[in-house]
Amino acid sequence: MAIPTLFFGGIIVFLLAWNFVVSLENWSLFNPVPKFVGLASYFYLFTQNYFYTSISHTILFTVGLVAVGNILGLLLAALLYFLPNNTQRAVYLSIFIYPMAIPPTATALVWLWLYNPQIGIDWLLLKLHLPSIPWFATPLNTQLALVLVEVWEYTGLAVLFYLASFLSVDRSIIEAARLDGASSINLLFRVLLPNSMNGFIITTALLFLFSFRIFDIPFIMSGSATSPTLMTLVTYIYYLFAYSEYFSVAAALATLVAVIAAIVIIPYALLGLKKWVFRR
Amino acid sequence: MNSKYVVRVIKYAILQLVVAIFIILWLTPLYAMLVGGFKSNMEAASAPILLLPKQFSTEAYYFDWFGFGTLIGLEFPMIRQLLITIPVALASVVFGSMGAYFFYIQMERRPWVSNIGFSIISLATFLPAQTLTVPLIALTSSIGIYQTYWGLAFAYFIFYLPTSALLMSIFLPVVPNYLIESARLDGARDWSIFWHVIFPLVLPGFLSTLIFVFLMVWQDFFTPLIIATKPSLYMLPVAARQYVGGYAILYNRSFAAGVITSLVPLIIFAFLGRYFIRGLAALGGGAKGI
Repeated sequence: MAIPTLFFGGIIVFLLAWNFVVSLENWSLFNPVPKFVGLASYFYLFTQNYFYTSISHTILFTVGLVAVGNILGLLLAALLYFLPNNTQRAVYLSIFIYPMAIPPTATALVWLWLYNPQIGIDWLLLKLHLPSIPWFATPLNTQLALVLVEVWEYTGLAVLFYLASFLSVDRSIIEAARLDGASSINLLFRVLLPNSMNGFIITTALLFLFSFRIFDIPFIMSGSATSPTLMTLVTYIYYLFAYSEYFSVAAALATLVAVIAAIVIIPYALLGLKKWVFRR
Repeated sequence: MNSKYVVRVIKYAILQLVVAIFIILWLTPLYAMLVGGFKSNMEAASAPILLLPKQFSTEAYYFDWFGFGTLIGLEFPMIRQLLITIPVALASVVFGSMGAYFFYIQMERRPWVSNIGFSIISLATFLPAQTLTVPLIALTSSIGIYQTYWGLAFAYFIFYLPTSALLMSIFLPVVPNYLIESARLDGARDWSIFWHVIFPLVLPGFLSTLIFVFLMVWQDFFTPLIIATKPSLYMLPVAARQYVGGYAILYNRSFAAGVITSLVPLIIFAFLGRYFIRGLAALGGGAKGI
């Protein structure tokens, strides 16, 4: 009865192996009969400027989302935790999470409009006599604007897991702390946070993985995969495949990305997920 | 005594105010999208996007739905998306939960089988799909299903069947072990244990997985981008990308395209949102307490 799962799971492993084999060849549009050339594709990749730009962008987006998402998620989860009304808390939590249910095409197109310098957010800032923000003025601004979109989309995840770990702290501990006169701030930092280690690990792992694989939003916001400003490692794979048509180089980069992802995923799955779920 | 009470009220008001500010920030893009779609084209191009429309117009929806010139209307992509997403999500979750049950019962019999299976399904869930671009296209073209609905469904299954299996393996342990043991003592086979004992008990988890996978397939942009590139096969997220605007004739129409793409997910989220949230929580081991 596990045949369908094993079959499609097996295909993933098979495709990853195939990827590795292709990466050792010199298959491209101009070279339709590939030969084995060893690590040449990897060495070619390491000479490309786009490779290093896309690495730095991926690092910026990932570190940005993990840092801001964790801090903001923690703050919002604490605010929701101290709301006395359960219904209000549930509704607000859904509002923080709804961006993840919206197709990224819609997200990208609406944020492009929000970043419009005349009629977007800047219009509101001008009305409020605040300095307007030049969203797309420099490459760095554009990249930070993308981090903001990511934060809007994925912070709900952090709120969810921090709130869940706060709520799983024993009520009696909270009440004891309250009786001893602990303020809300003290309660948060002395009682809730130290008990939220799992929430922190889950949030960090998932934010890392979601940000590491982000493709659609930079792709649509920059028009296609050819713009270097928002190019990440995964859009660069698509660029190498669809525009340069160096299939082997694309496979080489894909292999590297898959290895990095696997280094995070497998320990998270076996040491984290599996242990938390199946402890009895 | 009285001043303490006042301080508490003020604190409570500040808490509500701060939360409300964040909620408004989070809802702004949705509001801008909904409002923008009902503006006239000139107004959407020039008036601030956060203002309500002066004149209510549904012209943009008409334009997007039926298409214009070389722009493909969203009518058929929407029908296609519904016709493919529903069966793919259902089949993934049914087969995925069977796989999850297999890994679950293997845990005591052969732990290494369960560990390897668990690693593979997590890898498939979280792996950036872009890493499989080259071999996936090579594989689908070599078996003759590249640029077909079957190829698309096949690619969706590769990514989302393991995802369903992972989520279901998080939901399965709610079934107490002694139930499985006693059913087995009564002589039930694994197959009937699954359908008659396990399945009714994990129905909420099944529903969460179904909603989660449905929304993930719906918003998948990359798979149709590489597998179904012919305009006659455009899926909704790819077709809506034509309307990403800010130039030429696409002002109110780009907002309307966003609304059409996210209409079904928004309705599902509004009514079945807590199942989606539970599915999301399963990615982190269940997140007890929500």
